This record gives sequence, structure tokens and C-alpha cells, in this order.
Amino acid sequence: MSSGYNIFVLVKQVPDQGSKAGINPDGTIDRARAKRMLNPFDRYALQAALHTKKMYGGTITAISMGPPPAVEVLLETLEHGVDRGYLLSDRRLAASDTLATAYALFKTLSYVGKADLIFCGLQTTDGDTAQVGPQLAERLGLPQVTYCEDFSIEDGKVHARRIIEGGTQKVITEMPILITVANSYHPLEYKSFRGAWRVQQLQRNPEELKKYIKTIDLDLIGADPDRTGLKGSPTIVAWTEKVGDIGGNCTMHEGSSPENLVAEVMKKTNVSEFLAV
Amino acid sequence: MAESEVITGFSPKGDVLVVAEQIQGELQPVTAELLGAGRILADKMERNLLCLIIGSNLGDLPRKMIEFGADTVYVADHPELKDYRTLTFRRVVCDFLESLPEPPHTTLLGSTTTGRDLAPRIAAHFDTGLTADCTELDIGPYEHKSKVDPTKIGLYPNCLYAIRPSFGESLKARILGPWKNPQMATTRPGVMIPLKPDPDRQGKIIPIPVNLQPDDYRLVVAETIREISKGVKLTEAEVIVSGGYGLGNADGFNLIRELAACFEHSAVGASRKVVDLGWIPYQHQVGQTGKTVRPKLYIACGISGAIQHRVGMSKSGLIIAINKDIDAPIFKFAHHGIVGDIYQIIPEMIRQFKQIKPEREVEAVVSTH
Repeated sequence: MSSGYNIFVLVKQVPDQGSKAGINPDGTIDRARAKRMLNPFDRYALQAALHTKKMYGGTITAISMGPPPAVEVLLETLEHGVDRGYLLSDRRLAASDTLATAYALFKTLSYVGKADLIFCGLQTTDGDTAQVGPQLAERLGLPQVTYCEDFSIEDGKVHARRIIEGGTQKVITEMPILITVANSYHPLEYKSFRGAWRVQQLQRNPEELKKYIKTIDLDLIGADPDRTGLKGSPTIVAWTEKVGDIGGNCTMHEGSSPENLVAEVMKKTNVSEFLAV
Repeated sequence: MAESEVITGFSPKGDVLVVAEQIQGELQPVTAELLGAGRILADKMERNLLCLIIGSNLGDLPRKMIEFGADTVYVADHPELKDYRTLTFRRVVCDFLESLPEPPHTTLLGSTTTGRDLAPRIAAHFDTGLTADCTELDIGPYEHKSKVDPTKIGLYPNCLYAIRPSFGESLKARILGPWKNPQMATTRPGVMIPLKPDPDRQGKIIPIPVNLQPDDYRLVVAETIREISKGVKLTEAEVIVSGGYGLGNADGFNLIRELAACFEHSAVGASRKVVDLGWIPYQHQVGQTGKTVRPKLYIACGISGAIQHRVGMSKSGLIIAINKDIDAPIFKFAHHGIVGDIYQIIPEMIRQFKQIKPEREVEAVVSTH
């Protein structure tokens, strides 16, 4: 192996739905006020990228698309040991659906360079479509391994295990390859002190930071703006409706001893019919 | 634009296509569900329901597609199509769609590990819209007024309404893309209702050519492992006891398992948050990105009841929720709610259950699959 593999990892900043900040009373998200975080699924993709570098050598480039604050998730990947990052940020990208997003990422990857391995999270927590990875692979004309649980590289080929309905499939594939990593893969290791220290130093020195994290736009990567954003999206969210309460009439049991509470429920329901003999 | 001027946009009718899914000759339940849903859409537009089935030695499976509601079944049967592979299956579907005189109006796949792998490739190849994980489908009109892209303005009489819960929000979103056919969607397994198979139903079965290219073999399948599940499958269980973040730690699932072991045909479920935290494997996840379940009894322990979880279990026969937070959303749709500490309530439940069936020995561990 000469200089190792060129490894890309795609990450996204999403609203933290576990935090109450920015969650409107009606359940919608105020993205400007919401706490931001690295998409939890991307943590597995990041671990896969770091593992590949550690085991087989190479350089890791993290790529993200989003408004300027998304640079935070790129910094986070640097703390974990990623070598450099690119943020595609452009107002014209607003309201992109998955197809328009995949196009923008395709142009970004073509601009950044040629990858041997591209790791993506299985899906995001704010869209939950799992579509962007395969759509990007289609644009790049690459094979893909989705729902990847584990993998190794032997003789220049990727041996991977992926989840299928009611089982698993072992596949062997050529590179370049796009892999979406399942959340049954190894969890992300803690960031190192060195990584965190390095990012801290970089943040104090904006000029130096620019060498490691570059912000790019549609013009720079030569993307057609009409194929991104609302205009480039074949789908739209036509309307939304509040989900009505189901069942509705919950009988509450409270303010009594556990013994009485359980006895009450036993009396009012047919739970005991399901007990094993 | 003058108010009176109505532009009728592109919205031709077309057939409805379902891409069937089988693993090693075993038809996946989502296919019958898709045919049930597709039948309704096709009837609304007075068009045909087509089905494409791909595999090797498919035997009488194509005939079954007709029994489940298809009018015409296209069969790609080829030894190289024995196992699902993204590129070979993608080739067959794309070639097939290109060979049709007009694109289908709607193309449906299951939101399974296969459907979610394949559908985005097809949509990207044809530059058409795709909505993931739908829980409802319909056909209806839509008037597009936004002036961002003037070419899209118009009244579209026949659109696929792809309806899905909008994430992290207690909202249902209706997603449309009437500007190009096929309008594509994947649907959640376990949600759409299949038709009762009718052995007397008539339809056409048409074999189609398979022309794989050298590039399609960049990935090979070395082995397919079907898990023989020990114990009761989540989707087949009559009783599900689920644990959430309120358990506090992974060990809390020991208590959940102990409670589940009190019941016949029971299984252990979990909320997404605890699966993400690694407290329990993904196979146990109930909800939008996990499994949709309809047990007779669902006991939710320390689960707040976010919309993601609700869509996966709200059709359970009897829902009992235990949570110490009286404001937890789960109390809005459970049938019975117990406000209290799960570590006090569950042991008490187990104790009272044992009093009813004192002769029974509680198994130490319920299978984890």
C-alpha cells in the first residue's frame, strides 16, 4: 500500500430532538433556536472512516452541506482524527429534497477529489429517508453497500456484512464503493485529547483553520443552481397536518402505592388473560 | 398571472407499478401490502396494476402476484438474479421502465433493507421524486402556486399523495411530485392492508429480457444468512413489553425481559433512543425507523411516546404505559397510564402476576431476537 486510501465521510448537522430548546408547543421545530448536533447515525460512519484509516492507512476528508453553523460538525470530526473538511454552504440550496441534495453532494465530491471509500450514515434523524447515500452512489456510478454492519479490506476488495430482512448478507465489492453504515456497527470512540487540543488551537487561528476546513459554494464546484434547492427538487411538502391523538381516553392511575396502582390496572383490563401458564 | 387563468399542468394518468420483493423464493409480506395499496390507486385512476418480480427460479410466485391484485406481472427470471444486488436489480428495473411505452404514473417499493437500497437508485437514474417510508398513499388533485419555478405552476388533477410522519414533529406531511412520472414512494412494512388472495383472479404473466452489463458485477454476494429466530418475533408477538430511556441504563432491560417472560407469545421492544445508545440491538426497535407492531397488549415502560414511536405501535389492542412524567405524550394515546417509578411498578406487576399463576416458573431470559 502506497499512501493508503482516500476516505470520505459525509456528515450532517441536525436539530437535537432530545433537547427541549427550540421545540415549539405544537411540536414543530424552530431550527434557528434548536440545539444543533451531529446526526447520530453519522457517528457510525465516522467510526468506520477512522477504523479504515487506522487499519489500512489513508486520509479522511469529511464533507457536509448546510448553513454556516454546520462547520461545528466538521470541527467535531477533526477532533476525532479526520484530516480535513469541506462545507458546501449556499443559500440557493435551501429546501433541497433528497435528489437535489444528492446532486449537490455529487458535484462537491467531484470537486474535492476521487475517493476509494465513501462512508455515510444510514439516514439522518431530521429526514429519516436513507435516500441520499444511494442517490449519490447512482450519480457517481458506484456500487454501494447499505445497512453495513461490519467490513474489512482484503486484497484491495471490501468484504462487508449488511443487514437484510430477517438476516444478513456477506458481499465482496470493488472500490470505489459507497457504504452506508448501520447503527449496529461499532459506536464512535471518544475523541482524543490531542484531537480536541488541535481543534482548540485551530479555532484560535482562523487563517490556519481555513487550511483544514474549507467552505465552498455552488459556483466554485460548478454546480447548476437550477438542479438544487426548491427548483431542483422533484418533490415538495404540499401540506402538513397535526397528528390527532389516538385512543385519546387514557385512564390514568396515580397517587397511590405501586401495589394499588397495579391492582387497579389488573381489575380494569384483561391483562391477566395473556399471562403464561 | 391573471386570477381567472387556470393552467392545467402535466398530470397524465398511467399505470401503477409495484416492484415485488422476495428473498430466496420467500415472498416478503410488504409486497402483498403494496399490491393492496397499489390496487386502490390504480382503480382510482382506472388504470392497471403492474408488478415486476425479479429473481431466479421464481416458480409460481408471479401467479401469486395476480392473486394479490396485479393485472400484469412482468418476470425477470435469471440465474444471476438469485440474490438481491443493487446493481443487477437496478439494471433490470431501469431497463424495464425504459422499455415501457409510457412511464408508470406511480412506482412503489417496500421500505425494507432492499427497497430502501434500490428505490433511490431508480429515482436518481430517472431524476424523479421519491418519498420514503410512507404510511398512507392516495391520488388527488393539487394546485401549485409557488412562483419560485414558473414552469411548475398549474393544477394537477392526479397526483400521488405520499403521506408520512414528519420527523421529530407531531405532524403528518403530504409529499407530492406531480411534475414527472413515475412518482415514486416506499411504504412501511406492516402498514398497508393486503387483499385476500383470490385464486380465480385473472391476469397476464410476461417474461422480460435480462441484459446485465459487466459493470453490474462489481459487487458479489458471498453468502446470505437467514436468521432462524429463537423465540418470538417482534412483529408476531401477542404481547410486547418495551423499554425506553426512562430505564436509566442498559441493565434496566433485565427487568423488561422478566416482565415479558410472564406472558405467552411475548417479545421485548425498545424505543429508538435506547437503541441509538446501544442498550439493546436494533432488531428490538419499535417505531418509524424500527418495526411496526400490532400486538394484543403493549406495555410501554419509561417511553415518552414521541411520534416516531407512536406510529410503530399505536394500533396495538391494549396499550399500558408506565412513566413517572405525567406530561409524557404516551399518556395521550395509551389506554391505561400508570404514573410512577418503573422500578417500583414493574416488580409489583411481576409479583401480582405470579400470584395469579403461582405454579409458573419465570424464565430467566426471553430470547433477544
